[in-house]
Amino acid sequence: MFGLTTLAAGKLPLGNMLFIIISFLVLMYILKLVAYGPLTKVLDERADKISNDIDGAETARQEAEELSAQRQSELANTRQEATKVVADAKISAQKQSDSLIAVASQRATSISQQAQTDAEKLKEDAIYNAKNDVASLSVAIASKLMQKELSLNDQQALIDAYISDLETK
Amino acid sequence: MDDPTAPFEFLNLTFDWGTILSTLLAMAIVVIVSIVLTRNLAVKPGKRQNAIEYLLDFTNGIVGGQLPKKQARQFGLYAFTLFFFVVVSNEMGLLLQLQGTDGVTYIKSPTANPIVTMTLAIMSLMVAHGMGVQELGFKGYLKNMLFKPYAWMLPLNIIEQLANFLTLSLRLFGNIFAGEMLLTLVANSLAWPGQFNGFWSVLALPIEMVWQGFSLFIGGIQAYVFVILTGVFISQLSGNE
Repeated sequence: MFGLTTLAAGKLPLGNMLFIIISFLVLMYILKLVAYGPLTKVLDERADKISNDIDGAETARQEAEELSAQRQSELANTRQEATKVVADAKISAQKQSDSLIAVASQRATSISQQAQTDAEKLKEDAIYNAKNDVASLSVAIASKLMQKELSLNDQQALIDAYISDLETK
Repeated sequence: MDDPTAPFEFLNLTFDWGTILSTLLAMAIVVIVSIVLTRNLAVKPGKRQNAIEYLLDFTNGIVGGQLPKKQARQFGLYAFTLFFFVVVSNEMGLLLQLQGTDGVTYIKSPTANPIVTMTLAIMSLMVAHGMGVQELGFKGYLKNMLFKPYAWMLPLNIIEQLANFLTLSLRLFGNIFAGEMLLTLVANSLAWPGQFNGFWSVLALPIEMVWQGFSLFIGGIQAYVFVILTGVFISQLSGNE
């Protein structure tokens, strides 16, 4: 047993110890370069990535919720608008039909009035003409009867009096 | 019990080929394994990356459970290297022991040599004391180490520090050395004491297998304990018990 016998003999194998310490330090350096450094970096990156992903998922969820709420409200708005449009269309159609009806009834009234006026005018004309004809006819009849030339103008007043008498009856 | 060694002198320092070669082999295995396992690192790990990440998580777990975050981060690399090296060293001798024709065992578990485990213990304690100084300042460190909880405990505290060194190093050495010793004993005295030993040679096989399995387990446990105790010493010497 090398170690213990040399220890007992008072000969410390310092060379071995130095060799072990130095080579251990070198080994530590190599492992740091090869394994520990890169691995620690990767582990840290992974931890970062996981926490980022969790945060990202949280934001994405919030965004989705916002979007869904927005969509909901937009849908409600659209529905309201559609209802309003339909109501407006109904109202305007009602108005239009009312105004058309009003115009038509006005036209009808005016036409019937016109017709009435026309009829009255025709009647007056006819009465007037008849009056004239009656006057001249009666004068002609009277002159025939009396063999006397009666002046239409002279007898006009009398005739008018007769006729108005007729009219009143 | 006094195996031959192959010492040589260099710059007035005594070296020993067995220890040097074993240590180098263990370190080479550690380096090669970690290089192979860390090819193509990605945030989404593959099979090989998972394996070494598991190891790193394991040592980081040991460290993180004992030390505040800042110290754990500092101590992480040391704990990782220490655990990896010690576990490979512990198991190496169970699978491979090379003896030269001159009777010198050139390759075995480096941790079956008390000089190696003492050196590792010295290193760990230096790390622990260094971190204590860094954490508390030199005065605070001395006070924390020697006069806590009461000033009259100074002698006990001094003994405790020496005992720390001895328990840390000799526990590891004892476990691994005993494991290998028994393996060699069974092989040399039972299975092949110079010639075929009949029934006993056959019986030696299951005994060796069982003992090797148990030693593998012991090797892992001892590496774990070594790193844990280093963490405990750091924690104690930094005043956060």
